[in-house]
Amino acid sequence: MIEIMPKCWNKATKPDLFCPGCGHGIVLKHLGYAIDTMEIRDKVTLGIDIGCSLLAWNFFNFDTVQTHHGRTAPTMLGYKRAQPERIALAYMGDGGAYAIGLQSILHAAMRNEPITIIVVNNENYAMTGGQASPTTETGTITITTPLGKAKDSVGGLKGPELVRMMADKNAYVARTTMANPIVMQNMIKKAIKTQAETNNFAFLEILSICPTNWRTNAKESLHRVVEMEKHYPLGEFLKEDK
Amino acid sequence: MSELKILLAGEGGQGVQTIAEVLAEAFALEGKEVSYIPAFGVEQRGTPSVAYLIVSNKEIRYPKFELADYLIILQKRAIDTVKSYSHIGAKIIFDSSTISLGDLPKTETAVFGIPATQIAIEQFYAKAFNLIILGKLAKVFGLDQDKVWELLFGQLKSKFKTKEIEKQAERAFRFGYGFVFEVKKYSEPVFQPSKHDIVVKGFGKTAKIIPARCKGCGLCITKCPVAALKNSKELGVYATPVPEIDLERCINCGNCRLFCPDGAIEVNKDK
Amino acid sequence: MSNKLITGNDAIVAGALDAGAEIMFGYPITPASEILHNWVKECGKNKKIQCLQTEDEIAAGFAVLGAVLGGKKAFTASAGPGHILLQDALAMAENLRLPFVGIMMQRGGPSTGTVSFGQQEVNLAIHGGNGDGLRIVYSASSILELYTLTIKAFDSAWRYRFPTIMLGDGYLGKMATTLDLPKPLHPVIAKPILPGRTTPVFLRNCYSNETELNGHLNNNIRDWRDNFARMAESEIYGVKTPKVLIIAHGIVAAAAKDAIDVLRKEKVSLGLFRPITLNPFDHPSLLRAVKNATRVLIFESSLDQLSYIVKYNLSGSKIRIIENAKPALAFTAGEIVTTVRKEIND
Repeated sequence: MIEIMPKCWNKATKPDLFCPGCGHGIVLKHLGYAIDTMEIRDKVTLGIDIGCSLLAWNFFNFDTVQTHHGRTAPTMLGYKRAQPERIALAYMGDGGAYAIGLQSILHAAMRNEPITIIVVNNENYAMTGGQASPTTETGTITITTPLGKAKDSVGGLKGPELVRMMADKNAYVARTTMANPIVMQNMIKKAIKTQAETNNFAFLEILSICPTNWRTNAKESLHRVVEMEKHYPLGEFLKEDK
Repeated sequence: MSELKILLAGEGGQGVQTIAEVLAEAFALEGKEVSYIPAFGVEQRGTPSVAYLIVSNKEIRYPKFELADYLIILQKRAIDTVKSYSHIGAKIIFDSSTISLGDLPKTETAVFGIPATQIAIEQFYAKAFNLIILGKLAKVFGLDQDKVWELLFGQLKSKFKTKEIEKQAERAFRFGYGFVFEVKKYSEPVFQPSKHDIVVKGFGKTAKIIPARCKGCGLCITKCPVAALKNSKELGVYATPVPEIDLERCINCGNCRLFCPDGAIEVNKDK
Repeated sequence: MSNKLITGNDAIVAGALDAGAEIMFGYPITPASEILHNWVKECGKNKKIQCLQTEDEIAAGFAVLGAVLGGKKAFTASAGPGHILLQDALAMAENLRLPFVGIMMQRGGPSTGTVSFGQQEVNLAIHGGNGDGLRIVYSASSILELYTLTIKAFDSAWRYRFPTIMLGDGYLGKMATTLDLPKPLHPVIAKPILPGRTTPVFLRNCYSNETELNGHLNNNIRDWRDNFARMAESEIYGVKTPKVLIIAHGIVAAAAKDAIDVLRKEKVSLGLFRPITLNPFDHPSLLRAVKNATRVLIFESSLDQLSYIVKYNLSGSKIRIIENAKPALAFTAGEIVTTVRKEIND
């Protein structure tokens, strides 16, 4: 039976400090359910970035470490080398993953580091006030793109596609959305199992909502995250055999 | 008046900083030296939002102070953060619909209440809260009502999605301006988050809603496929409405639990 | 006596191994690259240790933090521009009290500078982050010290939990000699910081409340001050409380010792105060050393980086201080002799 909230959530820190309707709450809930069902609470160490993800520092009742912005992947791969039996999760937003931290993620993929990276993509730097990020789509108005984000060569960085090119064929690379929580939960489990059971790299981007900076209500937020799929398609990305 | 020190304390999302900014601009229009600075942490919501406002006839060098002449307290949770700024001569203006007298720091001057949350919800709309407060503060500080509205409109006009909302906003502001303070006879702080879990049984199902965790985001209501959820009169942790459920309509699909970011709602089939 | 030549960089690797280090993360940079090469070779011989060449020093620094969180003695080695990039990880280590060990083989700066020699990374090692400099910084002046201080760096880092840097330089790193290395006693046991024993550990470096951060920092400062005397080290060479006191660190101090040997024959009351830790600085020993001194001569291959520290520790004293600064350029013993003679005869 599903609980009202995951067993591995830290009850003492609820209600948490995420904004009302923040996508992180839903992602972390299904990450929690995944950890509950897989019974790995005492094996998991969670690394988080500096952005809204930092608010998860005492969110669960397992070990969590805040790193620096864009540095969660290298910290957790170092941790995994010291504690290979544990499950190393690196949790971050689109800014930390695709701007300042992109280099480390691509090299971690290339080396097939056995960590699980989860990127919550809400198309902006939310904690600092909604500045445009690499995944902000062309034409979107943000506080640093008041006339709409200029068109660049891709119209918004496609992380999993990029990572897939660099990753091992046995790595798990996928994109899902918080708008479909059951599928998301399953893909989170797969991303964790890839590390825990096959010792390969796993990368999961999750399309998410930011009602505060998008200035949208629940309905509008959910509509926008579904629209995001037009540019950021969902799915599991497999390596093409050449 | 040589120097006036005003401390505004509320919670992220209440519009405290907008009030402070508009007041600062209004005082500046009157030829005063002003200084305004927010106190802030990383969170966007859920933690105290404090503003320091200094109004003077001479140059202001340092934006913060230790004791305030006026404490404007708009959120019970912010009181701990600001109580050290109070002193014998301080005047306290507070939201009497969510804060009780006993919660306030002790002061020997009169305490002034305005049940702004209640007024906003019952007569205007929830977000008009800070407009009502701003209206009243404009009167308290002897500022020109129309000039302050103009400044406010300049700040917020992009947020007024329709002309109707804009008109309501102005009405709320002017209502606040004309409101007579409660002194010694205050409203009951009825607009408080409900402390107890709500458990509803019926039609072979049990629903649980936890106001202490509900932030009023509306995701459950939006995702309910049979419109079995709607806003109730109960308030959640940020004084936003908590949903209520129609268990006859409910098909126990589990969406509300799947989508609630705060673990504040679930429905289970009775065994 | 062994007749096998070993370099300074070889000695560092030997020291790391004898200290119980198990993982190195590094990026190629002259004059520290040999440390990475040698460690890779050692990994070939011993499956228990690991090495990773990362994509840059930023990743190397944070991987070190991850590994020490996991309870393994980990380190990195770098220089100059790489030392700058490591400040991101060092700042996190400073806040969270993580036993980061870094070996920095100084080169001329700023910017890319030279690849060979300098002493201009002292400020960087102590204050390069956005904190107040609670880092233990050693300065090695011989190949033997590159070995012993590397071991000490691991020991201090894990015992006192402050990020620890050992400064060397390119000359020392590449210098080769024959040397029997002593065996260390009982390295400090490393324990994992995550996972926590009974309750989960929540580590944060970001605070919303200024008072909370100040409180946290005061705890760190208290630990720093409580252990100050244990961590600080120095050496006196020559006359113990001389009339003329030379102050220098690293290989410049080694040249100064040669200069003292020459001048001793001329019956000059001369001694060298050599800080072994630049931070914390051995203030009491310095005060003892200057007791009879009329003059202090500072020699450094940097501008003011050593002399600011010395002057801070001598504040209130009326001693005449002469600064000899040659940023990015070394001193020979002969130069030091000439300078001291000129000073004495003036």
